[in-house]
Amino acid sequence: MTAIAIEGLTLGYPNGRIAVRDLSLSISHGEIFGLLGLNGAGKSSLIKAIATLLQPHCGTIRVLGMDTRQQAPEIKRRIGVVPQENNLDTRLDIRQNLLFHCRYAGMPERLAVTRVEHWLQRLNLQGHTEESVFRLSGGTKRKIMLAKAFLTTPDLLILDEPSAGLDPGVRDVLWEQIRQFRRSGGAVFLSTHYLEEAEALCDRIGVLHQGSLAGVTRPADGLCLDSGQEVAQFFRQAVEPAPCVSP
Amino acid sequence: MRFALTLLHRNLIIARADARYTFIRTVLQPAIYLLVFGLVVGRLMPDEAGGYGAIVAPGIIAISVVSAPLIAISSYLLTGYYFRTMEEWLLAPVSLRTVFLAMVFAGLCSSLVNALLVGSLAWAILGLVPHSPVLLLAVVSGGGLLFSLLVMLVLLIPERPEKGQELFALLMMVMTFLGCTFYSLDMLDEPLRSLALLLPTTYVSEGLRAAYLPSGPHLATRPLLLGLGLATLALYPAAEWAFRRRLGNFTW
Repeated sequence: MTAIAIEGLTLGYPNGRIAVRDLSLSISHGEIFGLLGLNGAGKSSLIKAIATLLQPHCGTIRVLGMDTRQQAPEIKRRIGVVPQENNLDTRLDIRQNLLFHCRYAGMPERLAVTRVEHWLQRLNLQGHTEESVFRLSGGTKRKIMLAKAFLTTPDLLILDEPSAGLDPGVRDVLWEQIRQFRRSGGAVFLSTHYLEEAEALCDRIGVLHQGSLAGVTRPADGLCLDSGQEVAQFFRQAVEPAPCVSP
Repeated sequence: MRFALTLLHRNLIIARADARYTFIRTVLQPAIYLLVFGLVVGRLMPDEAGGYGAIVAPGIIAISVVSAPLIAISSYLLTGYYFRTMEEWLLAPVSLRTVFLAMVFAGLCSSLVNALLVGSLAWAILGLVPHSPVLLLAVVSGGGLLFSLLVMLVLLIPERPEKGQELFALLMMVMTFLGCTFYSLDMLDEPLRSLALLLPTTYVSEGLRAAYLPSGPHLATRPLLLGLGLATLALYPAAEWAFRRRLGNFTW
């Protein structure tokens, strides 16, 4: 069954710049799909669109069988999102951030408290629960963002560079949670800058370059694109400066 | 409704955490206004109908009612913009309209709370009690709703809400000084009288005067309620349009 089905998607910004161009992609339940790309490739725009925060200029996105244009609230009820930048409420402390995340989702209070305590413990945050998130380190903020994504027991996780700023111990916990989530039948759409993270976690890896899907590969296939080129080599070439030509 | 109440709950937690600042803003500041303009200046002008205190106090309540949504809604928009909390709210499983209405509702509630607090102060300091609580509630609700929509519109038209906040502060200054808060409409001659009739603060202030002191000078109740209602109806689509335009595609 398809968790995400994208057909002919084009995304643009209000200034007219195109972020994603004519992209088609399908991700199944129980699959971890990784998206690699350089800065500005369009990864975060694509993630925002899947999370219903950006409207397609052209094409369609169906998430868990629902159209992002028509059924945004229903989709949001069934996804967990870690955006690229933390969106914590700086006026609240850690526990309040997690509790309010559950309350916004309409979760019963008793269940919310149980789940929040579970995740505080899971991510080793019990000692800091009354601290304002404003004063926390980047890594701790990221941990809270991860907890938020799992709190509502979603069917699909959308993670935009989730391990950025995490120490290796917490990154291992994150990876284990993602694998466990996949084992339970959930789908994961993950963007990352780390090739090793994509290789370790993902069933398939897509390479987004200048708003277009340059190719999709599998770690088992040696991370080679359809063109036969290795992903690592592709990125090396993409960031290499153009050679100077003497007159 | 549940989302709106949750968002309101969040504001209460923040107000309690910032108790000192909340007290200064919602109690101390209007109390000083009522003491100075209502009691001290009021005694200097005892000949006005009901005394100047009875004319200016509803105006001071009006200032509090119309400025409350700015605090409540700009708190959402500025925190939402600078700390990206808006994304958290937009990712809640509700429609964009629900998020918009929840924020407007928070603005309206803050107006009602401010009216209650400053109204209590007016009673404690000047002994003023509303003659018509129903009219008082109608004017405060209408004014709170109207200004919540106005704040939403003005703060979301510029690219950054802080620019909108500066613009709104400027508008508030004009509306406070020319919009019959410190005097009644009857005290004005043309062309200031016509100008005042264009400002929504005039309708809120005059409405509160009608609620507190029906025998004193004030705009007739029916046109002022009609004015508030029509302005609210006109502003609603504009405010929702600004909200959708800025946040329908979340690019903050």
